[in-house]
Amino acid sequence: MRAPNIIKIENLLIQIFLASAAIVMLYPIFMMVLSAFKTTPEIFISPFSMPKKFNIENFQVIWEKTNVPRYFLNSIIVTASSIALLLITGTMAAYAIARYKFRGALMVSLFFLSGLMLPLRLAIIPLFIQLKYLGLIDSLLGLIFIYTAMSLPATVFILTGFLRSLPKELEDSARMDGASELRIMLDIMVPLISPALVIAGIYSAVPIWNDFFFPLIFIQSAEWKTLAQGFTAFFGEYSINYGVLYAGLSLASLPMIFIFIAQSRRFIAGMTAGALK
Amino acid sequence: MAQINMLGVSKRFGDIEVISDTTLEIKDGEFVVFVGPSGCGKSTLLRLLAGLDEITSGEITLNNQRIDHLAPAQRGLAMVFQSYALYPHMTVYQNMSYALKVAKEQKSVIDEKVKKTASILQLSEYLDRKPKELSGGQRQRVAIGRAIVREPKVFLFDEPLSNLDAKLRVQMRIELTKLHKKLKTTMIYVTHDQVEAMTMADKIVVINNGEVEQVGAPLELYRSPANQFVAGFIGSPAMNFFSGTIKDVSANGIHFDLNNSGASIFLKCSDANVSIGESIQFGVRPEHFILAKKTDQIITGEVYAVERLGGETYIYLSSQTDDDIIVHFSGDREIKVGEKIDVGFSIKDCHLFNSKGWAIR
Amino acid sequence: MERSNYQRAKSFRKLKKQLWLLFLLLPPALILITFIFLPMASALWYSVYDWNGLIRGEFVGLENFRKVLLDPERNWFFFNALKNNVLVFVSLMIIQNGTALVIALFLAREPKGARFYQVVFFIPVILSTVIIGFQWKMFLNPVFGLINKILNAIGLHDWALPWLGLPETALPTMILVNAWAWVGFPAIVFLAAIHRIPRDLIEAARLDGGSEWQIAKDIIWPLMAPAVTIIVVLTFIGSFNWFELPYIMAGLEGSPAYSTDMLGLLFYRTAFGSISAGGTEFGVGSALAAIIFIVIFVFSIIATKILVAREVELN
Repeated sequence: MRAPNIIKIENLLIQIFLASAAIVMLYPIFMMVLSAFKTTPEIFISPFSMPKKFNIENFQVIWEKTNVPRYFLNSIIVTASSIALLLITGTMAAYAIARYKFRGALMVSLFFLSGLMLPLRLAIIPLFIQLKYLGLIDSLLGLIFIYTAMSLPATVFILTGFLRSLPKELEDSARMDGASELRIMLDIMVPLISPALVIAGIYSAVPIWNDFFFPLIFIQSAEWKTLAQGFTAFFGEYSINYGVLYAGLSLASLPMIFIFIAQSRRFIAGMTAGALK
Repeated sequence: MAQINMLGVSKRFGDIEVISDTTLEIKDGEFVVFVGPSGCGKSTLLRLLAGLDEITSGEITLNNQRIDHLAPAQRGLAMVFQSYALYPHMTVYQNMSYALKVAKEQKSVIDEKVKKTASILQLSEYLDRKPKELSGGQRQRVAIGRAIVREPKVFLFDEPLSNLDAKLRVQMRIELTKLHKKLKTTMIYVTHDQVEAMTMADKIVVINNGEVEQVGAPLELYRSPANQFVAGFIGSPAMNFFSGTIKDVSANGIHFDLNNSGASIFLKCSDANVSIGESIQFGVRPEHFILAKKTDQIITGEVYAVERLGGETYIYLSSQTDDDIIVHFSGDREIKVGEKIDVGFSIKDCHLFNSKGWAIR
Repeated sequence: MERSNYQRAKSFRKLKKQLWLLFLLLPPALILITFIFLPMASALWYSVYDWNGLIRGEFVGLENFRKVLLDPERNWFFFNALKNNVLVFVSLMIIQNGTALVIALFLAREPKGARFYQVVFFIPVILSTVIIGFQWKMFLNPVFGLINKILNAIGLHDWALPWLGLPETALPTMILVNAWAWVGFPAIVFLAAIHRIPRDLIEAARLDGGSEWQIAKDIIWPLMAPAVTIIVVLTFIGSFNWFELPYIMAGLEGSPAYSTDMLGLLFYRTAFGSISAGGTEFGVGSALAAIIFIVIFVFSIIATKILVAREVELN
């Protein structure tokens, strides 16, 4: 056994390290949000201090003068729909792979997993042609399908791990109780993996919400642009109005941050307790 | 009425035959126990009855109607699992009412049945709790309650007591027996614990390596085991076995020598199918040994361990025969390690097994 | 042969099960095939053709591949970008994942505020690459940016460099930004893996007098193997897919002087840059895409095989 004193010193050093790391993590974000409340000259003059007063002018500019609210809405629609479609189809596939033995089960799971390695961006042109053929160019639905497809492999991977860990006896008991396979899945198995659904949801929602590449290529008309894409253009326009820029950055980041913090307990519980693989 | 018949049932997993050609009859209202060592196939047999696994060949009938093609729920059976398999995210009430809900029974009917069963099992105050808030014994009662609510024709139990502590196990054994007497339903019970089998069963089925070794009432198995496996499995501590060789066979009986002991024993039996020189196994239960005074045969041994429990004593002897002997005396005996004692037994308490392990009567 | 009710019931049940599985697997599979596998297959298919803008020309076999890998005018770009991607991967493994490991080990001791730290470290992961790119670009501005202001404030004037403007510092700077943004992810994955290790093992080692370092090396590290596998593979895929961050912070050309050029950027330039110019680069672009894909695929398979074998051995 090591001396309690050494342990105490170790713990102190660890705290110092973690606290410093936390500051490094948070400070830039903190600065970004703070600066959103300052006027542009103020940002240059006193970048580190608290704003003289909490100026919401920048936010007003964004809200009223730009299309940002519309973009925001589009992003919400795309992200929410993609996640919904993703979790439903992902659960279906994961359930089949995790709870049933059938010929070709291994091939099926490799099929879904291989999607992880396929950088879809490299196939952007055929994808464009394909979407054109399906009439999904310049539509949020096209984005939704693309995002769902992109996130399916990881989602199936995560959910399969969790679903596998449920005891077979639960299934057997439900079968004896007369439940159909659909009922067993919906009444019993899926509710028991809710942390996994949250994890898979957040893991996929973040890159979807943040993506600007696909909207850039597929969305032309202003009414369907998403937030991330809108900002890219927006930065060009407001490139010297730092105040408004920071306000925009903050607006774009905060929703995700809030959702994450709200779900963080489930998220962390799921990651630490669940079957990662 | 719930009579089950298994005819020539076998089960293969790939190349491995886990259950071989089993034929059993279970009468209405019987409490039948499938007992055997781990991996012998008893749980598999139960699952085949339940319909959770498909049989490879043979037939299973309930009241003379074939059921082995039916889904588990259609067979009219209910099962209590070893780990209870309670739905963790549902309350006790929801757990117990689930099957009825699936069957689309009316809410009032469900309510009545659940409440009635809960009171039989003393679970009424726990109806709103979730499984993780209950103790092991309570969870087990919920598992049983879930089965009772379905009013099945047959109850299936898969080692339900193995997750309980010793004291609770004894208690629940009695509760289950009382339950059986009350409900009078056929019950099939799987366990590896021969004590549970002996105390609870109307009929015991001893299974080893996928084959039925013997079927009979508990005491029948105790007194007349059909083969060496059953003899050694039933009864605790296990029967003592000694190797021996046949010296002489006659119409009256058999003469055989116990190896290395010089003891020569004569057993009266007719129609023994053995030959001279054949090696046999001779068995005597620990509780049938007596401190030698006026008995038929004697074996001398040196005590190497003594266990005195107060109400009974276990003596461990190393003897001239190659085998160690365990002796069980009721009451307390002051015997010390290192003592040399003579033990004897009465002929009527002996068992003889031929070279293939089958009992010689 | 007469089919008894009994046999009919059995086959019906079997059919039901197969239909059920089909129902479960078909929708997700369809989505994957339509929107990922088909396009990817087409992309690879296109690479063996000559292209005039978006119009497909004649079959040219491996000509496009030759152009990418062997044509002296082009292949400098290819190998330069490849070198950068490898650099990114190695650096991230050491800096980002190494730090993540340390963080995870510390958090595993459950210090005060562990929950808080877990959430905090993960917040940058949530932010959009766009945001991170822009934000740090502003912070790294040589004159107005936060970083140089701090450096000047504490007297390190010589260090107040134009970080994104110098070929020597641009890539390392971006690597550090990536590490800042993503360290939370492997940290949590590692932490989860450490939590799975049975307490008794670690406590027994502590009682035996092992130092923290020894315990980490001999017990925790081997038992974390599955998590390490996942992170290595994901980091590799991420490094070779680098696009948004360099695009925002340094531009499509990998400025300055192609020091931050990545395979992803090169692909984009080749395939798209040419469409507007009407050149015949699309086939070449597709060949490049095929090569990138093969590199990622081969590495993933090899790495997974090696690492999974190691996992099995250690457990």
